[in-house]
Amino acid sequence: METGEENTRKEETVKLISAEGFEFVIDKKAAMVSQTIRNMLTSPGGFAETQHGQVTFPEISTPILEKICQYFYWSLEYSSGKETEFHIEPEITLELMMAANYLHT
Amino acid sequence: MSAQKKRTFKIEAFKHRVELDPKYAERTWKVLEHAIHEIYNHNASGLSFEELYRNAYNMVLHKYGEKLYSGLVTTMSGHLKEIAKSIEDSQGGLFLEELDRKWGDHNKALQMIRDILMYMDRTFVPGNHKTPVHELGLNLWRDNIIRSGKIQTRLLDTLLDLIHRERTGEVINRSLMRNITKMLMDLGSSVYQEDFEKPFLEVSASFYSGESQQLIECCDCGEYLRKAERRLTEETERVSHYLDVKSEVKITSVVEGEMIANHMQRLVHMENSGLVNMLVDDRYEDLSRMYNLFRRVPDGLSTVRDVMTSHLRETGKQLVSDPERLKDPVDFVQHLLDEKDKYDKIISKAFNNDKSFQNALNSSFEYFINLNNRSPEFISLYVDDKLRKGLKGVSEEDVEVVLDKVMMLFRYLQEKDVFEKYYKQHLAKRLLSGKTASDDAERSMIVKLKTECGYQFTSKLEGMFTDMKTSVDTMQGFYANQYSETGDGPTLAVQVLTTGSWPTQPSAPCNLPAEILGICDKFRTYYLGTHTGRRLTWQTNMGTADIKATFGKGQKHELNVSTYQMCILMLFNSADQLTYREIEQATEIPAPDLKRCLQSLACVKGKNVLRKEPMSKDIAEDDAFYFNDKFTSKFIKVKIGTVAAQKESEPEKQETRQRVEEDRKPQIEAAIVRIMKSRRVLDHNTIVTEVTSQLQSRFLPNPVVIKKRIESLIEREFLERDKNDRKLYRYLA
Repeated sequence: METGEENTRKEETVKLISAEGFEFVIDKKAAMVSQTIRNMLTSPGGFAETQHGQVTFPEISTPILEKICQYFYWSLEYSSGKETEFHIEPEITLELMMAANYLHT
Repeated sequence: MSAQKKRTFKIEAFKHRVELDPKYAERTWKVLEHAIHEIYNHNASGLSFEELYRNAYNMVLHKYGEKLYSGLVTTMSGHLKEIAKSIEDSQGGLFLEELDRKWGDHNKALQMIRDILMYMDRTFVPGNHKTPVHELGLNLWRDNIIRSGKIQTRLLDTLLDLIHRERTGEVINRSLMRNITKMLMDLGSSVYQEDFEKPFLEVSASFYSGESQQLIECCDCGEYLRKAERRLTEETERVSHYLDVKSEVKITSVVEGEMIANHMQRLVHMENSGLVNMLVDDRYEDLSRMYNLFRRVPDGLSTVRDVMTSHLRETGKQLVSDPERLKDPVDFVQHLLDEKDKYDKIISKAFNNDKSFQNALNSSFEYFINLNNRSPEFISLYVDDKLRKGLKGVSEEDVEVVLDKVMMLFRYLQEKDVFEKYYKQHLAKRLLSGKTASDDAERSMIVKLKTECGYQFTSKLEGMFTDMKTSVDTMQGFYANQYSETGDGPTLAVQVLTTGSWPTQPSAPCNLPAEILGICDKFRTYYLGTHTGRRLTWQTNMGTADIKATFGKGQKHELNVSTYQMCILMLFNSADQLTYREIEQATEIPAPDLKRCLQSLACVKGKNVLRKEPMSKDIAEDDAFYFNDKFTSKFIKVKIGTVAAQKESEPEKQETRQRVEEDRKPQIEAAIVRIMKSRRVLDHNTIVTEVTSQLQSRFLPNPVVIKKRIESLIEREFLERDKNDRKLYRYLA
């Protein structure tokens, strides 16, 4: 889920880049949990993000983006199913909230 | 971070984090404005979605939402004005294509703009009661393009012109039409309706009004309907190709109104090709088309139905009152059946088996069949004819079909009791002369009558069958008993008929020849010996006899004659010449019967076993008769003057009528008593209505007769008049 996994096919993955330049390659399906990312990847007219399959978030730090990616996968698996807890460390709560608002997640 | 959590924490704007640079908003907006220009110029591929989204996000977050929104309106309006210009400038035929292409572009741009401004759509728009971006884009398009002075009328004219051209046979670009109308629908149903549909319907109405005027002058009814039908299918097709589905009802109702409803009467009554002609010629296809088209408009079917009914009644009336037809009852009934078949077929093939049409058919038949008061007799005669000979060699199912059809006519009869009377007479003749072709068919007919009218109606008819069966047993018993004594004498076959079950006419007994009298007496002794307490009277007017006669050159013939005729012929065993008066004296046969018998014995060619002086067609009281020595026939068996069922003569008819009236009296009285017994007190009119409804399955009682019966019941103290109100009757228990 973190860096690497180059062998995954490009069409099905997307690269998310944090403010510090860390790259997260995750499944497109997972990234689409965010309504904002979904629009970035599907909007007609060919924005840069759609063409390159990568999105840079200059205002989201690496740990937050990592947590967000974890959330995407958790959400895919559990959101519609049974109750499980998605653990959030108290110290990042605020920043995470802001990112969530931004990403419409 | 799940939906749940988001709601619990209200996130405030981060005023503390980003410094409020007054130029920041301006700068950010410039970036976005530039992006919008690029999007409209098809140059978006280099843009970063994230950046634009972040800018819009920040503007909204920092309370510059209003600036962003109004900036968007201005920028988009500006682009749309340019677009409007380029559409206006497009050359004639390319106008729609240009409009369609620009619409496509705008839609795509709008989608992109909405996506990057999504955050504004999500928070600023609902909070400030603004129109969402997508809808805003459509509204701006509507106001700047579709309703701009130069485009609005041109667009409408172009669309209507294309449709007109398609109606007159040209091929047009349907998919382009489809795109344009879809655009109007996308802009809101009111835009589609106001800017297109309403004028479209108006133009269509005047088009079809003109066309129908033209067609009705030069086409016959069938052709007109074919064209109207084609127009309707065309319009439906047009809707399915490039109009809103909701328009279908509207446009078809325009066509229906202009082409059908407005010309209904003229179409139906069109000379030489209208409804009546279609009915006469069994033009199922045209009729079916008329039915399906007229069904669509108000009062359409009732118009068709009324014309059919009046035509049916008219032709039916002619049929039942045509003196030529009345000469042959079988043919008469066959015509009725054929007419019924014809219309049944029309209704099932062309009128969708419509119940209301069937009812109209039934009521028409009921109407004209009862116009002729001989119908019950004729129907019975028809059955008689079928059961005598008509059904030989016909399969059982076909017999049933014929009988069912007869029952259908029977149902129309109001005077079912008259039918019963005749049926009884005819059945009696069939049974006694052994002319029934099929016992099964006879019984099947009885069962049908029973189902239709109840046990009471047929009990006597069934009694007749029982008598026939018992008689066979009785005769076997008689001959078994008398075996030794029969010898060479005449053979007697007796049918013992229960009085009351059979339509016996009071007959003056004639004098039977001595040979017959002997064996008759033997039978009487035998019968009364086994059945004590009964009375036997001989119905000599109903029997038949087979006699062997030897003529001049020794040729022998077997003559099949009636009992009366036998009596006459037997006289010639002892005399060669007899006068009418001598015969009358010797036999005591009633004069009208005697004349008829003599006529059939002496005046029918090929069967004239007697010779008459003078040779004339009619029998006079002073004629003389001779045994015809020179009689020849190529048949061994000669059947003479059968008393076959035939149409009644006028006096006979009167007599039957009278007997029917007589029979009705007790039935009416019984009905009155039944009603009064349960209701105790009733006024005159109610009694008449109730009696009529109780008896209408058998006949339609005449109110005057009912009144007479009530009076008779009062006389006999079953009822009394109320002392205060003379219109009320009371039942006296």
